[in-house]
Amino acid sequence: MSFDDPALLAEFVTESREHLADVEGQLLEIEANGANINVDLVNKVFRAIHSIKGAAGFMGLVRINELAHALENVLGKMRTEELTPNSQIVDVMLKAADALSGLINDIENSNTVDVSSHIALLNEIFEAEANSSSTPPVRDNRSIEESEVATAAPIAAEKNELAQDSTGPKEAAVAQRTPSTPQVESSIRVQVGVLDRLMNLAGELVLGRNQLLQTVNNADGTSMQAVAARLDQVTSELQEAIMQTRMQPIGNVFNKFPRVVRDLSAKLGKQCNVVMEGGEVEVDKTIIEAIGDPLTHMVRNSVDHGVEMPEKRMASQKEPTGTITLRAYHQAGKVRIDICDDGGGIDTNRLKDKAVSKGIISAERASQMSERDAVWLIFHPGFSTAEKVSDVSGRGVGMDVVRTNIEKIGGSVDIESTLGKGTSVQITLPLTLAIIPSMLIRSCNRRFAIPQVNIVELVRVRASESSQRISRVKGARVLRLRGSLLPLVDLDQALNFDQSSEPDDTVGARQIVVVESGQFRYGLIVDEIDDSEEIVVKPLGRHLKSCACLAGATILGDGHVAPILDVSGIAAKTDLRSHEQDDDKNNNFDDASQSSERQSLLMFTNAPDEKFAIPMTLISRIERIRAEQVDTVGGQQLLQYRGTSLPLLTLEEHIQAKSRPQMDYVHVVVFQIHGREVGLIAAELNDIREVAAEIDGNTFREPGVAGSIVVDETTIRIVDLYELAFSAHPKWFSDKPKVTVDEESPFQILLAEDSSFFRKQAKDYLESEGFSIVEAEDGAKAWDLLDSGEYEIDLIITDIEMPFMNGFELTRAIKSNADTCHLPVIALTSLASDEDQRRGAEAGVDDYQIKMDRERVMSAVWRLLSPKKSGRKGSHIKHEVLEGCLS
Amino acid sequence: MSSVATLNRSAGIELQFATFYVGELLLALPIDYVQEINRNLELTEVPHAPEHVRGVINLRGDVATVIDLRRILGFSLAEVTPQSRNLIVRSGDESIGLWVDRIADIISITSDSITPAPANISGADGRYFKGVYRTDSEIVVILDVQEVLDVE
Repeated sequence: MSFDDPALLAEFVTESREHLADVEGQLLEIEANGANINVDLVNKVFRAIHSIKGAAGFMGLVRINELAHALENVLGKMRTEELTPNSQIVDVMLKAADALSGLINDIENSNTVDVSSHIALLNEIFEAEANSSSTPPVRDNRSIEESEVATAAPIAAEKNELAQDSTGPKEAAVAQRTPSTPQVESSIRVQVGVLDRLMNLAGELVLGRNQLLQTVNNADGTSMQAVAARLDQVTSELQEAIMQTRMQPIGNVFNKFPRVVRDLSAKLGKQCNVVMEGGEVEVDKTIIEAIGDPLTHMVRNSVDHGVEMPEKRMASQKEPTGTITLRAYHQAGKVRIDICDDGGGIDTNRLKDKAVSKGIISAERASQMSERDAVWLIFHPGFSTAEKVSDVSGRGVGMDVVRTNIEKIGGSVDIESTLGKGTSVQITLPLTLAIIPSMLIRSCNRRFAIPQVNIVELVRVRASESSQRISRVKGARVLRLRGSLLPLVDLDQALNFDQSSEPDDTVGARQIVVVESGQFRYGLIVDEIDDSEEIVVKPLGRHLKSCACLAGATILGDGHVAPILDVSGIAAKTDLRSHEQDDDKNNNFDDASQSSERQSLLMFTNAPDEKFAIPMTLISRIERIRAEQVDTVGGQQLLQYRGTSLPLLTLEEHIQAKSRPQMDYVHVVVFQIHGREVGLIAAELNDIREVAAEIDGNTFREPGVAGSIVVDETTIRIVDLYELAFSAHPKWFSDKPKVTVDEESPFQILLAEDSSFFRKQAKDYLESEGFSIVEAEDGAKAWDLLDSGEYEIDLIITDIEMPFMNGFELTRAIKSNADTCHLPVIALTSLASDEDQRRGAEAGVDDYQIKMDRERVMSAVWRLLSPKKSGRKGSHIKHEVLEGCLS
Repeated sequence: MSSVATLNRSAGIELQFATFYVGELLLALPIDYVQEINRNLELTEVPHAPEHVRGVINLRGDVATVIDLRRILGFSLAEVTPQSRNLIVRSGDESIGLWVDRIADIISITSDSITPAPANISGADGRYFKGVYRTDSEIVVILDVQEVLDVE
């Protein structure tokens, strides 16, 4: 017979052999125990036979299944103590077990072998006991002997020597094939413990070699050098070979999926194909084992939630049969596994709704989330995408568990989904868990290893720069690195080795390892950076489990142990998060006088020496194109792009700027204005930086240029995308319905903003929309104005970081006062962090917007004012107007 | 674990004990527990480790924790001397080193000659002791390894 899956078959054979290997001894023990039945022991045998039966039935191995079933019946009776084992019964059972191993050893022909005599005898025992408690007579001794597999049954043979020569012809054939069994003996199982031991020994050998090499180099002896060279080579090869024994093809995991998908899709009434590529890619055994469950979960997810029902697929012009593609390949020293389906994709709106209803994110956050961030929600703990919990995927295991499990073995997972087109999950895995690249560092003369995956960069601060670049904010140290502040941790102190004196910030050069754990980045001050090395990770003993700063230990080339640092543990230990927040506050106090805020800016050069910047928050994406891809149609530059044409703007046409030189490639910064995508040509991108410099809103101010800042002694002009688009395409803005606000009593907006630049900017565009603005330089002034009742304020727009009273405090004051609590509050920020949003929501902020995003601020203003318009006399904003603003 | 207790029942059976000094105290362990005794004293200190953990050593490719018996018994910190040894015991699936000041003889003790330990011996907490045995010249205290290794 033919099996479509030889690997699965081989797996079955190996596993069954393992089960059977113990059965013989266990049966003999059962016999020895006699009437004094050891139920646990019988259970063990029962389970072994049961597993074989189950798997055989699954794979269509009928003879094995039948025989195992008969054997299991008898064992079942023993288990319930309805049957007392005696020699005759155990004899029959042993022979049946032998026949079973005979069948398994020749699996290909097993279905043609006649085992009915064994089955008959077993059934006789089973039925005899069912009817009476008498010992079953083993009537036809002859028939047992005939079907015996002689060579595979030494014990049985001992008991019945007469039978040796009377082996039936068919069985003899089985028996002869037993020793060789060429097809399935292609792999062996090795205890991981044994392999680990081998690894250790190989490591020791490496060590011995190193010492020998050292001795040889010091003394003089050419012959010894040859020996050493040989030893060197052998050792390396040994180590490699042993590593190799742990490598297994990923196909071992993949191979079970066709069946999983087949059964599952049949159950759900769907049609699915599985396409597998790269099954030969090899990874470490531990990874094979760890990846099995997460992969199965994701494949089941693809069938259950991804691929649609055939009718639905046909309705959306797809093949009725869905395709699930599993692809494994090497990429940059790692293994990538892609699981793709051409199903319905992930409906991000549904995800968001669910996340909001479950309280995972706020409604405001949901509305601002990018598609990509929204798709990522499925990795959030406690999230299940199934509308109803099916018995297929809803097994209490969510994608968050999948993600955790993958990250636990040093991998990462990413997801992409297009609604209606399908979903693709990408898993990146290390080749092996046993060896990780790492950096060796020294602190207090002790050596430590930091895994390379955690290291972002190495920074050396020269003694002369030290005082300038490392500063102290409220007792915590920070490093100025490319315009941003990085919290610093002194490793000596974090590890409690050096409790003596406070380290001096100003003396000596400093080595800083910038590390990252999760989304959190900080600098570790170390004494010395030694070398990068591939290390073997060893677990620490149970007494050291509480050391959160350590992820394990490794043994270095000289035989010494070096602890492996856990960067997230260190961050937690040193309470870095709270420090960082303190820093933030403190900085804002420090900088409050200059009213500067951190802005993330994309910097680029158009003509040489002319630098410009755009706030990152306004940019949708950046494309790099060939200059010749730009078409000019009727004086308008266009980029044919994704089936549509993208209007392009150039700086030199609209503001005072030199023209960009001829270039082969240019960058296009894509942003949105009035629901349209517009591209701005940026000749050369320089950097993305967080800048805390003061913006000058006067010197270079012109339509299209919001202001300028000075960074690294260079003046950079900040482009106002809105004005630029307006000056290029006034007609886009003319078809926008003009808001008709009562000239007599326009809406009054209180604008609290400490930066004169941002205040002026916001005021300008709010006034151009017909609002009346009351300005306040800080929160306290804003509150005074509001409290005095001098103005009739309809809405408050406030900055967050301000001196005297910040935006949150102002909001809390407004919301807790009976006279003002009905007023909507919009908070503006330059960098929208989740933490800020959460704090804002707590304070009672109605909406959260990014500074300089004029359109969104305006739409938020209108949205929050819309309930008021009906209550106000003389203002007649049409509903369409609002729609227009919101689009 | 309770080999002494078992032996108490079937009096008169001889059992071998490895004996060693921690400070002035002569301690004994059933020899079955002792995996090896070595001079591997090149400890690596572990940051934030419990006080009674002296550090870790490389035990032929495994990282083994070394526990300072003096700390557990409430003595002052041990000094490294030429007589200092690591007594490696097997516990569960890991090997753990006990730092001792000096190794003494291997002695045979008949179980019925072991008497219950007093609550306090030479200032050390009695809960780590299973019993005492008197030789002609000295008192041998039988250590409860499990109790020692369970110290958090």
